[in-house]
Amino acid sequence: MIQIDNITKVFQDPKTEVLDRINLHIKEGEFISIFGPNGCGKTTLLYIIAGVVAPTQGSVLINDSHPRKSDVGFIFQNYSEALFPWRSVIKNVEFGMETRNIDKRKRRKIAESLLKKTNLFKYKDRYIYQLSGGMKQLTAICRALAYNPGVLLLDEPFSSLDYSIARKMEMELLRIWEETKKTTILVSHNADEAVLLADRVIVLSERPARIKGIVDVELPRPRNLDMLFSREFFETRNKVLRLFGR
Amino acid sequence: MKQRSVYTIIAPILILLVWLISSKLNMVSSLFLPSPEKVAIEFFRLITLSEGNLLIDFLITAIRVFAAFIAACTLGIPVGLLMGYFKKVYDSLEFVVEFFRAIPPTALFPLFLLFFGIGDLAKISIAFWGGFLIVIINSMYGIKNANKLRIKAAVIMKASKVSLFTKVILPEAMPQIMAGMRTALSLTLILIVVVEMFIGTSVGLGHRIINAQLVYETSEMYSAIIMAGLLGFFLNKMFMILERRFVHWSGK
Repeated sequence: MIQIDNITKVFQDPKTEVLDRINLHIKEGEFISIFGPNGCGKTTLLYIIAGVVAPTQGSVLINDSHPRKSDVGFIFQNYSEALFPWRSVIKNVEFGMETRNIDKRKRRKIAESLLKKTNLFKYKDRYIYQLSGGMKQLTAICRALAYNPGVLLLDEPFSSLDYSIARKMEMELLRIWEETKKTTILVSHNADEAVLLADRVIVLSERPARIKGIVDVELPRPRNLDMLFSREFFETRNKVLRLFGR
Repeated sequence: MKQRSVYTIIAPILILLVWLISSKLNMVSSLFLPSPEKVAIEFFRLITLSEGNLLIDFLITAIRVFAAFIAACTLGIPVGLLMGYFKKVYDSLEFVVEFFRAIPPTALFPLFLLFFGIGDLAKISIAFWGGFLIVIINSMYGIKNANKLRIKAAVIMKASKVSLFTKVILPEAMPQIMAGMRTALSLTLILIVVVEMFIGTSVGLGHRIINAQLVYETSEMYSAIIMAGLLGFFLNKMFMILERRFVHWSGK
């Protein structure tokens, strides 16, 4: 459960208001999409939830404790820059377990089982620069899941992948979510993606970002790509876009 | 691969040809530029001598370069890391380092002579000094330029201060640290050879070159120059192999 109360963020120098009184309650196991224009402060909001940026006002509680005291999995838009190129795939996945002093054998076992589930096992000893974009992001997802965080935060994770790979990765993410039921927040500037994956879509305004509205997605689970052509999907997406364009 | 290796020998062959033709046509006095075959014969004579063998000079120069280089790295890398990581250390040392770096190490010959005499210690110290400053600067910027996103990722994964430094920031800095080391290696070779020419010694490639020039033994002079070139070339190649091994991800 994530409780976001009245979050406001103002950057100094030059003075920029980024977030304006964001209030949000996210249930355990819920999948939330945050949809908003580029540069509106979506990433800043995720950083605040992850505990690496302090809000100017307001507070975030993850299962009643401060974000810095909770385990958070974070997946960056720029996977090439966020993974460790001096480590192999499996050593990247093990990183978060090393920092938690999980012993070597257990670490290896968890990493291997994750890589097997995502079909990356045969690339486990490759270095990051020897992988394709999709495989890199999949490695990043494994790395974020490996230490079993309570919350998964994704910052436009598939926006730099090409269309078919991005759709494939979305399905992979959904499969992982169905399996782990982690509370997930996905930031996206792609309305289709935001709707297809989430239980609720939060629509943000231009900077300073306010919540313009919240759209419930009634599509059944488990979701699949065929739903992109369904009437329910269409109606929900149009609702999101109308809210967005207003 | 095969095509590339053909191209790599074109330029050396051309240079040799120009050299050969100009000496055959007496375009340059043979006193200044002896023919290639004469230099080749001299070169092989010099590396087979029982006394005053050119390989000894090669070895001594190489040892001096290594000594200066190793000292520059073992002292320069920690200083650079501290400057890059701690703002306070940076603020207190930045001006001094930048100032000393602006002074050509060669301008400090007399000073080093005063302090260390004319032995090996003086020679190695001068070369050390030049390499030391370069290694400091590069190690410092390596740390300062560490990718902020990776640091953020590690912090989110709850990396402690120590593991953040050893597992993220240090590997981030490695490519630039090694680039600094490579530049320092070339500079220490330059300084050692120059110093051997001007500060009393009886052995070393610089000494050999200047002595041969003074007595117009130009074939010997060219042989020693070629030897110095080979030393620099092999040092650089060796270092590149190390770089490819230790910072394999660099530039990828």
